[in-house]
Amino acid sequence: MSEARQLPEDELFEVEINGRTCEAREGETVFEVAARQGVEIPVLCHDTRLEPAGACRVCLVEVEGQRRLQPGCAWKVSAGMKITTESDRIEKHRRVLYGLYLADHKLDDAGLPVETANANQLRMLAEKTPPLQLEAVEAPRRGRPEDENPYIKFDPELCILCARCTRYCDEIEAVNAITLAWRGSETTISTAGERGLLDTSCELCGGCIDTCPTGALIEKKAPQILPAHAEKVRSTCNFCGVGCQLDLHVVDGKVAKVTSPPVGETVNDGNLCVKGRFAYDFVHHEDRLTEPLIRREDGELHPASWEEAIEVAAKGLLGVKERHGSDAMGFVSSSRCTVEENYLMQKLSRTAFRTNNIHQCAAT
Amino acid sequence: MLETTAQRERVLKLLEEEGGVTEESVRRVAREANVPEAEVWGAGLFYTLINNPGDRVRVCDGLSCQMAGADALTERLESQGKTCERVSCLGQCDLAPATLDEQMKLVTYEGRPTGVTPDDPELPMNLGGEMDRSYAGLARAREMGAEAVIDELEASGLQGRGGAGFPAHFKWRSLRSQAETERYIVCNADEGEPGTFKDREVLLRQPHLMLEGLAIAAWTVEAKDIYIYIRGEFGNERRNLDRAMEEAREQLSCFNWHVVDGHGAYICGEETALLESLEGKRGMPRLKPPFPTEQGFRGKPTLMQNVETLACIPAILSRGGAWFKGLGRNEPGTKLYCISGHVKTPGVYELPLGVTLDELVEAAGGYEGTPMAFSPGGASSGFLPMDQRELPLDFKSLAGAGSMLGSAGVVVLNDTVDMAVASAWQLVFFERESCGQCAPCRIGTRYLRRQLDRYVQIGDPASLAQADDVGWEMEEGSICGLGMVAAKPLEAARKYFPEAFETRNSNGSSKRG
Ligand SMILES: Cc1cc2nc3c(=O)[nH]c(=O)nc-3n(C[C@H](O)[C@H](O)[C@H](O)COP(=O)(O)O)c2cc1C
Ligand code: SF4
Repeated sequence: MSEARQLPEDELFEVEINGRTCEAREGETVFEVAARQGVEIPVLCHDTRLEPAGACRVCLVEVEGQRRLQPGCAWKVSAGMKITTESDRIEKHRRVLYGLYLADHKLDDAGLPVETANANQLRMLAEKTPPLQLEAVEAPRRGRPEDENPYIKFDPELCILCARCTRYCDEIEAVNAITLAWRGSETTISTAGERGLLDTSCELCGGCIDTCPTGALIEKKAPQILPAHAEKVRSTCNFCGVGCQLDLHVVDGKVAKVTSPPVGETVNDGNLCVKGRFAYDFVHHEDRLTEPLIRREDGELHPASWEEAIEVAAKGLLGVKERHGSDAMGFVSSSRCTVEENYLMQKLSRTAFRTNNIHQCAAT
Repeated sequence: MLETTAQRERVLKLLEEEGGVTEESVRRVAREANVPEAEVWGAGLFYTLINNPGDRVRVCDGLSCQMAGADALTERLESQGKTCERVSCLGQCDLAPATLDEQMKLVTYEGRPTGVTPDDPELPMNLGGEMDRSYAGLARAREMGAEAVIDELEASGLQGRGGAGFPAHFKWRSLRSQAETERYIVCNADEGEPGTFKDREVLLRQPHLMLEGLAIAAWTVEAKDIYIYIRGEFGNERRNLDRAMEEAREQLSCFNWHVVDGHGAYICGEETALLESLEGKRGMPRLKPPFPTEQGFRGKPTLMQNVETLACIPAILSRGGAWFKGLGRNEPGTKLYCISGHVKTPGVYELPLGVTLDELVEAAGGYEGTPMAFSPGGASSGFLPMDQRELPLDFKSLAGAGSMLGSAGVVVLNDTVDMAVASAWQLVFFERESCGQCAPCRIGTRYLRRQLDRYVQIGDPASLAQADDVGWEMEEGSICGLGMVAAKPLEAARKYFPEAFETRNSNGSSKRG
């Protein structure tokens, strides 16, 4: 954004969206300009982190001078372009297109796309524009029911083949664990050899779940439907110093699921790693240490105050220094520490204990 | 960077050498080409010649083969203990019903005579004449200079023969005007439109004309590398092409020639899908713009032409654009018309662009039985009733009639055919060949095929109540030409033969009316 703002004025030009004149720049898409104007164009296959694919066809708009409808996510604006995002033609297009999607989708008793814990955007679209009622097509798509990975579940019945997951895995993560496979109505999301994700290059980052617009990919161990009273709490991941933001979904005082804040909102831009997204069991684990403990003479651990605990540790360390010298000691800090914490750790090592034996576990 | 690109381009060929996609072959190819395993897997599974290893007989289920009894033939072969797979049009409609045996060799069963226009030196392509190895057009091009070549092409009015009828000279000019100097020439020899087998005849009878056309194109737009993407099922044609290239080694020596086999996907005839396939990927069409003339193969300016388009070019340069133009009726030049189905001598006939169906069928020995309908330009063109037999078979007239000349794969259907069943055969083709990338086509082709099957089985027109809306959306919403026309056969059949879609009593096998 900030980069675009520095463009010289003469690179700005005017386009018209639904009869309203607005400013646009070279290289912008219809979708981007419309969004800035508050004109909403529905879309399923688009994720601003990815190259536009224009594949879901939901965002088709009319562009003056073009015989065919064009995908707003990919169509570049040019000076004087006139764009229409609502018309009878577009309305009919959406109605029939949604009807086709629904004919190829798992539906609930009300005939709407089934919703999982991750909102089904197709359902929202169908609620807004009633789809043409069509008989089911029963596409022969293969899933991976045998996939025993602990975190990611794929339901081909909810997949619309927008390929956001495969493109994410390729374009953002450069992991390429999943792919479109077969073709036509048999097209599905697959792995090499249809192996479970644990036997592929997959890093289980779960970004595919995050980008999936219909909930065909969901977290295996989170509730499949979150109760209505679930609360969302923004937090910072404490697994490493990057400081990715998390949204903790809290049910009855317990973390039930972790997601990334929306794309563009925080520094991690919708991305997380396997730890941030899935390794939250420790939060409520019975073995988790929740207060300082000191091993007393009886050999057992006893609760203590921080002051006491720090004093015992400091005494012990100073004793080692006195008996064996500074270089008998070594300090290793955790990859979970921030830069500032690491700085303090080396300061402790060098100035308090006078040794350069300082290391950080992420440095190897 | 360049190295990884080049490696990816080897993936499909390597898979073919491995005998097809298996978990192990994919692992080896991924390692060899340094491409992620999943991508090799996904690309390989797109193509029917490599996605399911194993020996079997491939029985064509194109319209002409179906009319010639491909179903019965399949049953017969299976009762002899053979494993059969039904496959999309093999481009042997004149020899219907056609099969490829376990070794991918063409086997046909009808001893019917097939035809080709007899030797006539006045014809630009003259398929019935001696093989033209003169390369006189290339020599002439070098004398004239590049700009003059394109002027001559413009004067000839030559329209692309691959289906779209786009004037060739526009693309050549566009290539020359690109700032990028790394440019490619691609020959589209992936002929797969049901009813079409004209490029096959050029490859078999006049391959040098096509090679010469390519050399002229490369010289004119200053490209070094020439790619020929040839349909994987074309074994004889491929061998003949290799032979011709060997014969003309000297004339072709200024350029780098690459012959690339297709691996079983009709959609790779679409130009951008073909480029994806050349790059070793799944053959899914790209969004346009950018057009291949701007960003094509490897993202560089690329000139792609059909085999027949290229084969016209030597004569245009040797004898002049005006001469070529004058050979046509309303539109320029001669055209290779494929004709099959219910005619006496199916084959490929070079006739003035714009002849009528009757003139074409006269060349093909006359109708067999009482003609009822014809499909003028492959499955994509739908059907027309016989009362339109006077229409000139050219790009404009057929487009005006809501159909298209396309690849000029003309099929005649006589009154023994059930038009609902004939439409179903065409829909099977589109469902199987859809790349699956966009929903209108992926879901629409399957929806229509299933609803039509249902109608044919139970005879209730209600099955097709939504067919018009779905067809409308397929045309409006699909990414590429396949989805845009896939509803045409059903649409046209219902329009012109409504009696074939009325309520039927029970088992549906009753003929129309
Ligand atoms: C679904 C589809 C299939 C096509 N198949 C072929 C084909 O088999 N051969 C061909 O030359 N062109 C085919 N085309 C047309 C090509 O996209 C392209 O227009 C053509 O190769 C350009 O060459 P031309 O201008 O010489 O015709 C096909 C187009 C579509 C949409
Ligand atoms: S129209 Fe069909 S063949 Fe073309 S891109 Fe869409 S799904 Fe693929």
